[in-house]
Amino acid sequence: MAAATQASRPAFRVGDRIRISDRTPVGHYRTPMYVRGKTGHIERVLDLFLDPEAEGYGRNEGAEIRLYRVRFKQRDLWPDYTGGPEDELQIEMYEPWLERA
Amino acid sequence: MSTENLVKQRANDIGGLEAGPIAMVDHEMLPWEKRCHALLDILDIHKIVNTEEKRRGVEDLGSEMIGKLSYYERWIVSAINVLLEKRVLTPDQLAKKTAEVEARFKS
Amino acid sequence: MSDHDHDHDHEHPGTAKDEALPGYYAILEISVRELLTEAGLITADEHRRQIEILDSRSPALGAKVVARAWVDPAYKARLLADGSAACEELGVTMYDNTRLIVHENTDELHNVVVCTLCSCYPRPVLGLPPDWYKNKQYRARVVKEPRAVLKEFGTVIPEGVEIHVHDSNANMRYLILPQRPAGSEKLTEAELAGLVTRDAMIGVTTVKLPVGASPGGRS
Repeated sequence: MAAATQASRPAFRVGDRIRISDRTPVGHYRTPMYVRGKTGHIERVLDLFLDPEAEGYGRNEGAEIRLYRVRFKQRDLWPDYTGGPEDELQIEMYEPWLERA
Repeated sequence: MSTENLVKQRANDIGGLEAGPIAMVDHEMLPWEKRCHALLDILDIHKIVNTEEKRRGVEDLGSEMIGKLSYYERWIVSAINVLLEKRVLTPDQLAKKTAEVEARFKS
Repeated sequence: MSDHDHDHDHEHPGTAKDEALPGYYAILEISVRELLTEAGLITADEHRRQIEILDSRSPALGAKVVARAWVDPAYKARLLADGSAACEELGVTMYDNTRLIVHENTDELHNVVVCTLCSCYPRPVLGLPPDWYKNKQYRARVVKEPRAVLKEFGTVIPEGVEIHVHDSNANMRYLILPQRPAGSEKLTEAELAGLVTRDAMIGVTTVKLPVGASPGGRS
């Protein structure tokens, strides 16, 4: 169906600079606080998966969203990071949490 | 003092928080823990309690229970809460069954 | 912020008594399982089968994958391109709508895995995670001070080596492909697999030749 194809096309590509939303919903999430509002880059575009924020409340189909892997420089996440300047934190992010930066 | 953060940041979301040295602990799964793990796997396969519901249910236990119950104790209580919410079981059914099971082991 | 002073780092010791007189939570598990079985929602057979599946999984599976990658460059390329498919070749199937991604350690890069939010772990290749992986200290600290945490495991990552920490928070599962130890050139694939520990495949340690072993592998 044309509508499904449109919705399923990834909004972001590898290398895109993105920012994690800093919204704070009540309820189940898989976007840890330590990355909220932080800026990184798309490391990998993954498949569509069920939105955990829906799945956690009993939805078992029909809420598929795009998943990505995102890379952050550790120095951008932690003000007192003492490791290497290029050290990274890589994590999975669902599309609704990503904003173009 | 604002309590908002208790609501916004769920009790499992601990990446980056202060914590002590790593305790190099492990233990062989107790038989009941293995049964519990297998049960939750089956519940997920059938989507009676999916894995994400189980995780959400553990988070909903709150920080005191998360801190005081062991890993699989949290799993079984979470699963029960989800089963009750979804009306797969009722509290009365479970209470009667646990009494029956206890009696069986004491006899 | 959340307060976890009472994180349950010590699990209850197992005793034979556990089976003779189940504790409160064990009784809950039995009760739930019996009610659901009586309702026809699950069967005793599938529960038993699932226990057998759990018993069949161990780090030996991951070690086999690593050893194969070390001796077979074409397999290693397939493993890094599609971890799930390459594991399927060796009889390991991922589940629960998860996919396996393998990260390779090199002279320039060291990778380590955590699940800060719970305990996500590549169970089909490694079995079940150790308690320390599930406890607060590892989950809280390895994302922000990996070198210090690795040091507590006895692993010193030299300055100049880049560290990547992977937070396994969604549908991906991660296996670290450790570096093959120097001096292991004459070992057979099975001997190589015997060197690979669970902790090296999580990334908190590296793979070393046993102390005193000759490079030829015959002691």
